[in-house]
Formats: sequence, structure tokens, C-alpha cells
Amino acid sequence: MISLEVRILLLGLDNAGKTTLLKQLASEDISHITPTQGFNIKSVQSQGFKLNVWDIGGQRKIRPYWRNYFENTDILIYVIDSADRKRFEETGQELAELLDEEKLSGVPVLIFANKQDLLTAAPASEIAEGLNLHTIRDRVWQIQSCSALSGEGVQVRLWRRLAVPAGHL
Amino acid sequence: MFVQVCLYFYCKCLWRCLKFVVRKLTGQCELQRICYNTKPGAARTMKIGNCRILSSRLQTSVSVHPDAIEKTIDDIMELKRINPDINPQLGVSLQACLLQIVGYRNLIAEVEKLRREPYDSENPQHEEMLLKLWKCLKPNSPLKARISKQWCEIGFQGDDPKTDFRGMGLLGLYNLVNAWQYLDDFFFSPLSQFSKAEWEKKKFDKAIGYSFAIVGINITDLAYNLLVSGALKTHFYNVAPEAPTLTHFQQTFCYLMHEFHKFWIEEDPLDIMEFNRVREKFHKRILKQLQNPEMALCPHFAASESLINM
Repeated sequence: MISLEVRILLLGLDNAGKTTLLKQLASEDISHITPTQGFNIKSVQSQGFKLNVWDIGGQRKIRPYWRNYFENTDILIYVIDSADRKRFEETGQELAELLDEEKLSGVPVLIFANKQDLLTAAPASEIAEGLNLHTIRDRVWQIQSCSALSGEGVQVRLWRRLAVPAGHL
Repeated sequence: MFVQVCLYFYCKCLWRCLKFVVRKLTGQCELQRICYNTKPGAARTMKIGNCRILSSRLQTSVSVHPDAIEKTIDDIMELKRINPDINPQLGVSLQACLLQIVGYRNLIAEVEKLRREPYDSENPQHEEMLLKLWKCLKPNSPLKARISKQWCEIGFQGDDPKTDFRGMGLLGLYNLVNAWQYLDDFFFSPLSQFSKAEWEKKKFDKAIGYSFAIVGINITDLAYNLLVSGALKTHFYNVAPEAPTLTHFQQTFCYLMHEFHKFWIEEDPLDIMEFNRVREKFHKRILKQLQNPEMALCPHFAASESLINM
């Protein structure tokens, strides 16, 4: 059987939960996460697909390096800490800049409204409105509430549904 | 499957016979042979730790109290029919080994407890320690507010360090606070092309090439992994004549920070994105070093010299 490789880029501000999401996806222990200096990469096999997931640190100092990883991206996953309302503006700005990038044009984007396990988390609908997601016209997009901590809402089949209409898989 | 089971029992049987024959020939039991023939330190303690008679006894009580060790030794001596009056040194040697073995286990429990305690900004003790870290690292520029971009100057990711401790909890903070005193050695050695003036001028992130605080938390994870996997046994059994303590663990962390910094300079990475590659390589190197039973993770330290009295 031919195994299709999919390159997934995982971005978002620091402390959004990118590495936890990555480890959750690879069914690894999530109790020893440390801040990502640089990047992590993991390959996950799923129903004939090989997902190569790149998790790049979200620290402000590292963000300029994000662009080095844009090339050949099949799906962009943008993670938001739904409980960190003070930084919604900052995260919205970063996302808007990403969507303007030429190398990422047309790449489907999946936005994870993470940390829904916290009581103070904003619902996905509120985040979608705040980020003006409905104005995105040049690509397939979807917002999904999830908790990387519990694993709720991070299923792989959802990512695939997103990518298929765009002809990326 | 059947063949494997047979082979297993055959080997087991053979091993027991061999031990019996050696015992009859030398007149000494396995514990005695180890204690008399192996140098004190990791080599001896690790062999003793692998003895079946001990491992089964120690397993039943996971965190044996140091006082219970004497009784365990008396029990073993009686069981093995060793006369303590003829072999006075054996009891002392065994006790030293057991103290180390039990101490290592207790240290894991202690470190794990600290790691599991999350940083809590409502807890005045935690806050006090965090502010102490700032004062130690930047004595000449006071912190303007508790939530401030200034935290990035010492290598935290954002304006509130509390989120950076994550999976390492208070263990990370303890280690960082303890490490500052060795800072001079870390960064201002002739090896690093980086001066104190640059540090003061807030440019040190650029100068050392990585973010001090979050790398400290990453190296805490490395030290924690080495401890839990048992790799640090070699080191602790060589440097701690009695039970290894939290202080020993913190010293090990400082040493690892120091060595990592040297390694980083040697590797001369292009940019920070290479951090995990360099860290992985460093991890493998330390693991390899720790396979040598003479190894101690301290500079200029002859492992068994301080252990003559064991």
C-alpha cells in the first residue's frame, strides 16, 4: 500500500498547547512538557497516511523563524489558548499575518480553540467571531474546540475531512 | 515458546549451581565476594543492588526508612549464616550500599513531589522565590511590575513566567534559583565569547544563543529523566557516601547546565532552532559517560577517593 505523506505545521503563541497536542496525537505521555526551544517533529501513522507534524515554538523570539517551515505545508493548524483572553488580539494578529503569507496561500487551516477543560475558556464561536474568521475566503478553514490535556476534540479524522475538499490529500 | 521457557529454567538452574559451587570453594557468599572484591562506589553499590536477596527484600518496602536498614542487614547475615564478629567490615559495607540504594529511591520520590507541585501565583512562597530569581540574575535593574516584558530578559517566554514551568513545576524554579550562583562559571568563562557587560546590556540572549530560563527548565527535564531512568545511579553512588539528597540533585543540574553550555559552544549551531538536536546529542553523550562505573558528573573529581571509609 502506498503511504501518503502529509506535512502538518503546528503554530500558535507560546503556552497555547502545541506540544501537548503533538504528544497527544502521538499517544505519548503529556505530563512532562517543557517550553519548546526551537521545534519538535513527530511522524504519526494513521489509516495509510503518514502525518509529519512540525511543532514550532511560539515564543515571540522564535516567531521570525516560523517562515522557514512554510514550504510544502499541507495543513496549517493554529492553536489558541481559549482561556488567555488578554492575548486574543495578539494571537489574532499572528494568524492574520500567517494567512497573508504567500507560501501558505490556499493551505487549509484548522484552528483549535484549546483548553476547553478550563472554566474560563471562551467558546469556539466567540473566538471565531473575535478573529473574524468568516472573512476567510481563499481557503478551507474550520474552528474546533478541544482540550489537548484530555484529548477531547483532537481526532485525526477531522483534520482529514478538512484537507480532502481542498485536494491536498 | 516452550523452548524459551525451558531455556530460562535451565539457565536459572545453572546459575544457582554455579553460585553454590563458588560459595563452597571460596567459603564466601555472593554479597561477601562483591564487598571484598569491588571498589566502593557505584561499581559495588550497583552490583549489591542487583543481588536477588536484596532486591526482593527492598521491593517489599518501597521507601525503607534508614533505620530499617540495620535490621535488614542483620536478617541477611543470619540467613546467610555469616558471623558478624568474624566479618565486621561486611556489615558496614552493606549498610553503606543499602543507604545509597534506599536514598536514591527516596530522592526520586522527593524530586517527583516537587515536579508535581505546579507553580501557583497565589502562593506567597512561590512568588517570593520567583522574585528572588529575578534579583539574583538582574541585581542592578529592579523589576517594574510582577507581570512585565522584563521576564523575557532572563529567558522566559512571555510577561508572566508562571506558564513556563509547566511539566517541571516547582522543581524547575528550585533549580533555576540554585543555579544562579554558578552563573559566573557558566557564562563568563574564557570559553564563551560573551562578557558580563553584554549580560548587563540585556543582550545576553543573543550572546549565549538561547533563553536561559526556559533552557534551564528543559535541562531540569533532562536531569529528571536521568534520575528516574536510573542512569544517575553511577554518579550519585560515586559522590554521595551516604544517601543522595536534593542538594546533590541540584548540583547535578548545575553541572549539566554548565556542560550543556560548553557543548552548545562546541557544536556551534546555526540558530536556536537547532536546540532540540543539540540537546538530544548532549543527552546521549551524558548517558554514555554514565555507563562507566567510575563516572561522576563533577569536574576534577576522583570518584572513589572520598569513599575510602565505606
